[in-house]
Amino acid sequence: MINLQGIRKSYHMGDVTVPVLNGIDLSIETGEFVAIMGPSGSGKTTLLNIIGCLDSIDAGEYSLAGEMVNTLDDKSMARIRSQHIGFIFQLFNLIPRISARRNIELPMIYANVNKADRYTRTSKVLERVGLTDRASHVPTQLSGGQQQRVAIARALVNNPDLLVVDEPTGSLDSKNGKEIMQLFKKLNTDGVTIIMVTHETDIAAYAQRQVRLLDGIIDQDKS
Amino acid sequence: MGWLQFYYDRLLQAFYALRDNRLRSVLSVLGIAVGIAAVMAVGAVSKGGSYLVFSELETFGLNSVWVYRDRNDKDPNRRVRKGSGLDNYDYYAMKEACCSALDKITPMVFNRDRNIIQTGNRYSNARVSGVNSDYLEINNDRLIHGRNFRKLDIKRRRASAIIGPTVVEDLFGKGSNPVGKDIRIGIRRFTVVGVLEEKSRDFLASIGSAGGQDANNRILVPFTLFQQMNGSKAINFFHMKARSLDDADLLAGQAKAFLERRNGKNYKYKTDTMATYIGTADRILSGVALIGVIAASISLLVGGLGIMNIMSTSVLERTREIGLRKAIGASQADILMQFLLEAIVISTLGGIIGLILGASASIILATLTGFPLTPTPLVITIALVVSIMVGVASGFLPARRASRLHPVEALRYE
Repeated sequence: MINLQGIRKSYHMGDVTVPVLNGIDLSIETGEFVAIMGPSGSGKTTLLNIIGCLDSIDAGEYSLAGEMVNTLDDKSMARIRSQHIGFIFQLFNLIPRISARRNIELPMIYANVNKADRYTRTSKVLERVGLTDRASHVPTQLSGGQQQRVAIARALVNNPDLLVVDEPTGSLDSKNGKEIMQLFKKLNTDGVTIIMVTHETDIAAYAQRQVRLLDGIIDQDKS
Repeated sequence: MGWLQFYYDRLLQAFYALRDNRLRSVLSVLGIAVGIAAVMAVGAVSKGGSYLVFSELETFGLNSVWVYRDRNDKDPNRRVRKGSGLDNYDYYAMKEACCSALDKITPMVFNRDRNIIQTGNRYSNARVSGVNSDYLEINNDRLIHGRNFRKLDIKRRRASAIIGPTVVEDLFGKGSNPVGKDIRIGIRRFTVVGVLEEKSRDFLASIGSAGGQDANNRILVPFTLFQQMNGSKAINFFHMKARSLDDADLLAGQAKAFLERRNGKNYKYKTDTMATYIGTADRILSGVALIGVIAASISLLVGGLGIMNIMSTSVLERTREIGLRKAIGASQADILMQFLLEAIVISTLGGIIGLILGASASIILATLTGFPLTPTPLVITIALVVSIMVGVASGFLPARRASRLHPVEALRYE
């Protein structure tokens, strides 16, 4: 489903050009659970952003679900993120002061889903992440683990082909972290493709496949 | 219904965002409200002002035209001539055959020296004018007591007088009806036949008609008798009424030409029309109104800058949120629209509140002064359109900056 070939990316900081990705070839099939690992500065988050269609590439080719992504404009990229991708961040990135339900509805507003459908789909994903009784709570009234569940529900609500997950347990204690990882495992068993960046090996162990980056190239790829 | 839902959802997002920063939102709403109210108030006041001026000028006869000798004539042969250049022969000729645009004409005769005006031991300092029986109609005067001069009063030089309310007060006491009583002007005894209705004299009222005098402190007598008292057939000027307001300039031209055909060798003539005064007053008032509107617009501009300021702050504070929204599927256009909508919601709310403030102010002013100042649908529409435009104009730059944020950098923003 995902096919990356010869992906190169560098950042420009003033006059200095910092190469981040130096030719990445990677294929990921539907239903896989892939952990991307590597020390900081190895380019794993940049790779994740490119896979999530948040960032552009300098060279190479990237196709997602049969579409060539690297040639698209802002509007089409936004559409791909809306239809095919669900994001989960280390810091949850919920919008404060609006309820869990309204946070989860946001991606559907950008996808122009009508109100009735939004309600039923929100209820369904809330049940899926086990937060039905917290629908009307605002983020500050929820624990870290619950906030991350809301974020996962938000990522799932448009039925994406792919979950793009960045350090999902980085802001959680180990108990909550474990529960969140169990949830990802369950979602993967249900057929959701997951690509996750982490630097913790025990978290990466939840995935079937571990890809290790070093200095912008794939150092190791084991299943 | 799809599009309705589309805008409803996005409007709701704007409301949530504004609710998050209640104080800031309220303050910027107030900024716009004050601006809109100020513009409306200035508009109402200037409209009321021109109404006031117009209605006052109207009480002196909108169709009035005056013709008199041109004292600035430089021709040395004519300069040596004495006198007003107008007499009864001119009057009769004018009346007979002067001008197609002429409706009514009265001679205006003033006394050379001030006469003592008294009743018993009470005195008046009123201005005495010799006029004919058409004067009241020409000058748009009404009587509260008694009657106008009759033609015979003029012809027979009857010692009758029509007096103004101030004269009544000075000679007989406020509110009394002196019709039938006598007053002395100089050495002659006059019988009061009528009392003039009070005229507003707040503003510009003394232009023209009473020669710069208080319109309520006048005594009118038959011009024939006044000429006899003066010992002269001279007429100071003619006060005419044109057939219509549009004919005023025509009549002015005709009267001047007619008189110069008759007496051109000895005198030149000049004319004034009420239309010119109205035009002058109108120009002054629109100038004042323009300055007022500009001043009020500046407060609206400041309101707009306020919105721009809070939107910029808001964009900065919500950088991460913008990144998140992009990550979950918002396009640049979606973000642009969201922030524009927030600005428009602020400015429109401000516009509505300003409209209510401005309208109440105008209505209060209207009831206090009696001018028809109630805001029209046009004014309401303009106020709302202007406030929406202020919202778009002041929200656009911050909104565009928000929409162009790079999602990755925005998400990383602390």
